[in-house]
Amino acid sequence: MVATLTRAVPARRSSLQTRRRSRAFYLFVSPWILGTILLTLFPLAYAFGVSLTNWDGVSPGFRWIGAKNYVDVLTDPETWASMGRSGLLALVVVPLTVAGSLGLAVLLNQKVRLRSFWRTMIYLPAIFPPVAAALSWKLLFDRDSGAINAIRAWFGQDAVNWMTGQQVFVVLLALMLWGIGGGMIINLAALQDVSPELLEAATLDGAGPWRRFTSVTLPTISPVLLFQTITATIGVLQTFVPALLLSPATGPAAITAVPEANRVFMIDVYAQYFAYSRYGYASAMLWLFFLAILLVTVLFFRFSRKTVFYAVDPSNGGGKR
Amino acid sequence: MLVMLALGAITAVLAFPAYWVVATAFKSSEQLNSALVVFWPVPAHFENFVEAVTRVPFMAYAVNSLFLATISGVLTTFSSALVGYGFARLHGPGKRILFGVLIAMMMMPGIVTLIPTYLLFSQVGLVGNYWPWVIWGLAGSPYLIFLYRQFFAGLPKELEEAAILDGCSQLGIFVKVFLPISKPIVVTAFVMSFLATWGDFIAPNLLLNQSNTTLAVALSSGYVNERGFPLNNLIAAGSILYVIPVVLVFFFVQRRYTENFSAAGIK
Repeated sequence: MVATLTRAVPARRSSLQTRRRSRAFYLFVSPWILGTILLTLFPLAYAFGVSLTNWDGVSPGFRWIGAKNYVDVLTDPETWASMGRSGLLALVVVPLTVAGSLGLAVLLNQKVRLRSFWRTMIYLPAIFPPVAAALSWKLLFDRDSGAINAIRAWFGQDAVNWMTGQQVFVVLLALMLWGIGGGMIINLAALQDVSPELLEAATLDGAGPWRRFTSVTLPTISPVLLFQTITATIGVLQTFVPALLLSPATGPAAITAVPEANRVFMIDVYAQYFAYSRYGYASAMLWLFFLAILLVTVLFFRFSRKTVFYAVDPSNGGGKR
Repeated sequence: MLVMLALGAITAVLAFPAYWVVATAFKSSEQLNSALVVFWPVPAHFENFVEAVTRVPFMAYAVNSLFLATISGVLTTFSSALVGYGFARLHGPGKRILFGVLIAMMMMPGIVTLIPTYLLFSQVGLVGNYWPWVIWGLAGSPYLIFLYRQFFAGLPKELEEAAILDGCSQLGIFVKVFLPISKPIVVTAFVMSFLATWGDFIAPNLLLNQSNTTLAVALSSGYVNERGFPLNNLIAAGSILYVIPVVLVFFFVQRRYTENFSAAGIK
């Protein structure tokens, strides 16, 4: 009798504790759960609903038209063109940023003089707000008063009108590469984790600097590189502000005045929404974009299974637990 | 030596656009339109900065930006900490799935939901005021939640045990024990969310109107002459005034900021 009592009491207490603890857990995470439902899942579902209609945002009598918007989007050559521009942007910017910021981090992880000065200077452009960065590059590449054409003139090159034709895409590329310091900081942090013992052991085994880099450093930091590659790809694919602000017009007119070479996918989506009021059509574009991003992310993770090395199994929810 | 040379060249290339904004900000319109491009404006026209803040209601926009960035910074910092603590120190059924959703949300492009959110907000009268930022702030940011979670998960278990014995509630432990020792991460989270709102263009452009919008939006369309041509020297001066707080904050918290990147790790 006594024995059952003493055994029963702690058992009941612990189940009560568990319940209380799980109630606390849900209380703590509820702001985020509610936020996700209200600000992500619900808008996504709403956009999906809108994408099945011919709503123009104004007239009350919109109709259910099924998958027509999706068919229209996928058969519109302009969609493919703007998607192609976004893809090209990612194809150029992502490898250059990831590799370039890694190279800079390796350089600045060594004992060079003025190290923290170099780090600060290279990181500084990354903290420029996007609007300020885009306006700065407009000044830099201005046809008459910009420094780029002035420097070209020293070498006897003609002035280029950077804000039209294919040239404006070059300006956009350069502008996006300017933020390379952001990746450098993350890589520098990752390089701190490379085990000095392992590097030393590799040296004793006769590995040169390059071999040490590829066999010790790269595997250690590969999860960070993968994370950067994915977030950079997603980030570049949603490029909007820089492309918009390199438009010759300002204010609401800017969206339709973006030069063709810079009409990336998000510019296209915004123009469909806010310049042409094709809410249904633009919502279908957003949903296809969402699926494309999902696909890209999944592909990256698939590919990374063989190439990325984890010291701790990340499926356990990551590191320090 | 070769390394120094390479670093010097890279730094010069990266710093030059910023220099050019400064140089442009000090030019008169004659210097700006001169056939020979002016690299070092003499005399320097400091009055451009005065004109930049008087030609448009610069201060009013700056106050709007400051207000928005502060409310969303404070709310995001606190609610992300709360959720991060939940994921790090508490348990409940479905936690692993929720954590997976959180990680997926970090990959979710914000721009995809922004337009439908705008359409929804406009139907319930939340466009043209600052309420959306309060709601966004209360929901926390997946990235910062993850940052906090990593930090809280690394702290020793003894921390809460004494407090539990004293009969402290979980909220009490969080506020009295965990928050005070996580000051560096709180500062980082606040700076990151503050700067994100300060620099954001798309949301205020969509959700606010000409009178209550932020500096980011006003800068991009405010400085034009009577015929609609951009006034480049004023744009440059305005941009500098807009960037200065960012640079100051950065220099103020720089060490902490970069250290926390490594502490939290994207691993």
